[in-house]
Amino acid sequence: MTDVIGPPPPFDPELAAAIAIAGEKMPDIGRMLARGGDAVATARALRDEMADFLLDPDADLTRDGAFTVSEREVSGPDGAPDITLLICRPNNAPPPVGVIYFVHGGGMVVGDRFTGLANFLGVAEELGVAVVSVEYRLAPEHPHPAPVDDCYAGLLWTVEHAEELGVDPARVVIAGGSAGGGLTAATALLAKDRGGPALLGQLLLCPMLDDRNDTYSARQMAGVGLWDQTANQFGWSALLGDAQGGDDVSPYAAPARATDLSGLPPAFIDVGSAETFRDEAVEYASRIWRAGGIAELHVWPGGFHGFSGIVPQAAVSQAAGQAPRAWLRRILAD
Amino acid sequence: MQELVGRLARVDPDAGAAVKVIAYFDRLVEGRAGLEPIVRGAAVLAGCAARLVDEQRRVQVRIDVHGRVRGDIGLPDPDWPSAPLVQDGPPVLWLERGGPAGPVDAMVLERAAAAARAVLERTRGRSKALEDPASVEVLFDAAVAAQTRLAIAHRLGIAENAQVRAVALINEVGRVESADGASWPGKRRSTDRRAGIGPIGDVVDLPVSWSGARTALRFTAAETAQDPGPRIVHADQLGGLAVLADVIGPDTDPVPDVHAIERAKTDAPWVLATLVAVATSPSLRTAATTLRVHHSTLQERLGHVEHVLGWSIRDPQGRLRLHLAIAMWRLHQR
Amino acid sequence: MTTTVPSPESDAVRIGPPVPFDPELAAALDVIRERMPATFTAEMLPMFRAARAELPDLTDDEISLGGTFDVIERTVPGPAGAPEVPLLICRPASATVAVPALYFIHGGGMIMGTNRGQGMADVLEVAAELGLAVISVEYRLAPDHPHPAPVEDCYAGLLWTVEHADELGVDPNRLVVSGASAGGGLAAATALLARDRGGPALVGQLLLCPMLDDRNDTYSARQMAGLGVWDISFNQVGWSALLGDAQGGDDVSPYAAPARATDLSGLPPAFIDVGSAETFRDEAVDYASRIWRAGGIAELHVWPGGFHGFVLLAGQAAISQTAKAAVAPWLRRIIGA
Repeated sequence: MTDVIGPPPPFDPELAAAIAIAGEKMPDIGRMLARGGDAVATARALRDEMADFLLDPDADLTRDGAFTVSEREVSGPDGAPDITLLICRPNNAPPPVGVIYFVHGGGMVVGDRFTGLANFLGVAEELGVAVVSVEYRLAPEHPHPAPVDDCYAGLLWTVEHAEELGVDPARVVIAGGSAGGGLTAATALLAKDRGGPALLGQLLLCPMLDDRNDTYSARQMAGVGLWDQTANQFGWSALLGDAQGGDDVSPYAAPARATDLSGLPPAFIDVGSAETFRDEAVEYASRIWRAGGIAELHVWPGGFHGFSGIVPQAAVSQAAGQAPRAWLRRILAD
Repeated sequence: MQELVGRLARVDPDAGAAVKVIAYFDRLVEGRAGLEPIVRGAAVLAGCAARLVDEQRRVQVRIDVHGRVRGDIGLPDPDWPSAPLVQDGPPVLWLERGGPAGPVDAMVLERAAAAARAVLERTRGRSKALEDPASVEVLFDAAVAAQTRLAIAHRLGIAENAQVRAVALINEVGRVESADGASWPGKRRSTDRRAGIGPIGDVVDLPVSWSGARTALRFTAAETAQDPGPRIVHADQLGGLAVLADVIGPDTDPVPDVHAIERAKTDAPWVLATLVAVATSPSLRTAATTLRVHHSTLQERLGHVEHVLGWSIRDPQGRLRLHLAIAMWRLHQR
Repeated sequence: MTTTVPSPESDAVRIGPPVPFDPELAAALDVIRERMPATFTAEMLPMFRAARAELPDLTDDEISLGGTFDVIERTVPGPAGAPEVPLLICRPASATVAVPALYFIHGGGMIMGTNRGQGMADVLEVAAELGLAVISVEYRLAPDHPHPAPVEDCYAGLLWTVEHADELGVDPNRLVVSGASAGGGLAAATALLARDRGGPALVGQLLLCPMLDDRNDTYSARQMAGLGVWDISFNQVGWSALLGDAQGGDDVSPYAAPARATDLSGLPPAFIDVGSAETFRDEAVDYASRIWRAGGIAELHVWPGGFHGFVLLAGQAAISQTAKAAVAPWLRRIIGA
């Protein structure tokens, strides 16, 4: 059956206004990809192009002394290199504190442990919890399972060294946005299936879950916004190579492939109504409910991918920013 | 992640900054954003808190530099830069800036005030008498003395030196729109969103604009598979096609090319959409993208439809002929 | 262990275990369910209505919120050939200009409830916060008055409101239709009617845990059978009352069950919320999804562990407070605050 695809939902007016004047500050991923060529070279070019966009050099990770920030090199997956964890401990909360284990975004191909971290430190300060951010290897240089295995290894280390870090191993929430949301969901699946750490919750912000890249929303929003179907294709191909979209993709690469979503920690899922990932996010939540699981879902009208981080002052972004805070407060409440 | 909007206040007051301010508020008006987003835009672009206080309408909005609504509103400082809603009126919009003015303050105030005026007029109490569509129709009537039309425009609240245009709609009376987004009668969502837009000009020239708008309306389509084509057409983009509208109508005899379109249309459901896409796309490849079919599918279809039409539509001459045939076909409808 | 395996041989889908209720809500639910039958049949309706009638309507003073609103009751022309429709009109006492308004349609499964019921309390609270008027319509109830009586009453009251906006001091260009449960379904249906008849231009539709689909066979309806406060058996009674034998068949109007609409384009921006542990979860999510697919505007919230009507019935819980607080920011954006 061939669907007639409807027109894209309009962007929220404030988001549209911000985009209208963003100009050269918006990375033009479509243009970068259109150049074609070797995936590794393209990924490197993307990283250069997006460096300014993804990194805020002025961000104060200590939040004016509220956090002590340190880095640790810890054991990676079996036979793989060590990984770096960035650890932010609140100074004014007595240990052990809860912890947000943070997995950054960037389409599986860009970003580092600092990407998007500042947003989480704000809420962590409010709640008096620590944040541990993992530096995982990126595709295409390091295809699946390298990224998710790194995330899982960092999680294991964090839980095993909880006492040393002054965190409570029974109060770990795993969190991430975009590709980080997908890796977060995958890490939660790994933790369940391998009998790993019990997690208090999984926070999936506009998560990248489905390598098949052919949902209605992906097709409806093709060519629109920061991370459209073409960009998504690049990210998934980088992670999975020829296996992308085929019959044999692991749920730990693309959580939408999991056939059993029961027994997972409570999920928070949000997404914009005007983005590629809308339908896969809604579907993932629906399947958790159908398995008798716990999930909170928010779909924000007229939101493009990553809108609340990119245009934080807009009214819809403020509302979207409040929702995970309220959820974390409930989840992490003593 | 950096805020996209940034702080234009730190930017030199060059043409680029002015253009951005204009673009920002234009998009808000286009998206029918309310007062809060407009005041928020002023605050964020100017880099200081902003407020709107309209005593007469009992409206007050105060937004801080981070875009948050603040209830704590005291008296405005007379030294703050401010703008009235209408010329020579009392100030209603303030930037809460002590010290030297920012480089884009004046532009921000002007555009935000214009946008706020449009919202206030739309939403807060224009009296019913001013909504009388009959008054608007008089403005379009060239037979009515220019003095009378100006007097009625004045009563409707259209400034004498305003730049305005006529808008023709299907099954509805026409309306007048000003360059800053105000509309008479007030904007309503109509079920059929097709519109012909007349050229912009002085109030006394509205009859000319109205005639252009009605011509433009005849070139509109429903933007559906059955009736593909643009829903909104601007008279001043018609060029020579407008001449065709004078000589072709529902009662004139169609030329053979129009019969060819009619024949092709009944041949298969995809034909009309395909023809319109080919006539209006810069290349066959973009036409294929618009139609969401593969390039080779399009080529196949074109072969078929050219056979039915009887001429090639893959060369410039044939495409011009096609474009004219579609335009004429449409003009025969109404 | 559960998996959802649609079998090609039959429609049978293995249904997963129910979604657990939020712990705070579960405690409240125990108290609520003590007064309720576990399942529901049409024969129980008179008894159920009588029990419900014991729940007092809001008093005049509660409705005026201590003078915040001027309250008047009007009886206005109903649909062609039908009785008049009572409207309860609450206008901010301090307003000097035309104000935006919430046109409110009460809940009660199509078979119960009044326009002065407890559901009005939250509506009045948010209206007071934002300076809105509230017009609450008293529509005829099924089964005494099957479809289209309820929705046509709602629509007639809306038309009157728009035509008399000046007199009411209401801005006819800033009307939001709203309702919870059956009222949410009727609000969605009223928005469809307004679109299809070229009626009033609405700026929004506020659909709280809306009752949208007469087929009553979604995954969530079956998953939550026997649980919560409006399970599949209650829902069956409500829809059968409204539609009689037509219920669940091929010929149900979208103005009765908005889930039946094939075209969801051109509707006013929607706010839709629902609990994850209730009958209506999947039809609410589906309605939002279909609005997006048509290129429309909808905000969706699914609250974890929420039973049907949890905000109204257990307002003190943390999740209820969060869910309630989500409405005002949406309304502010919609009315152009």
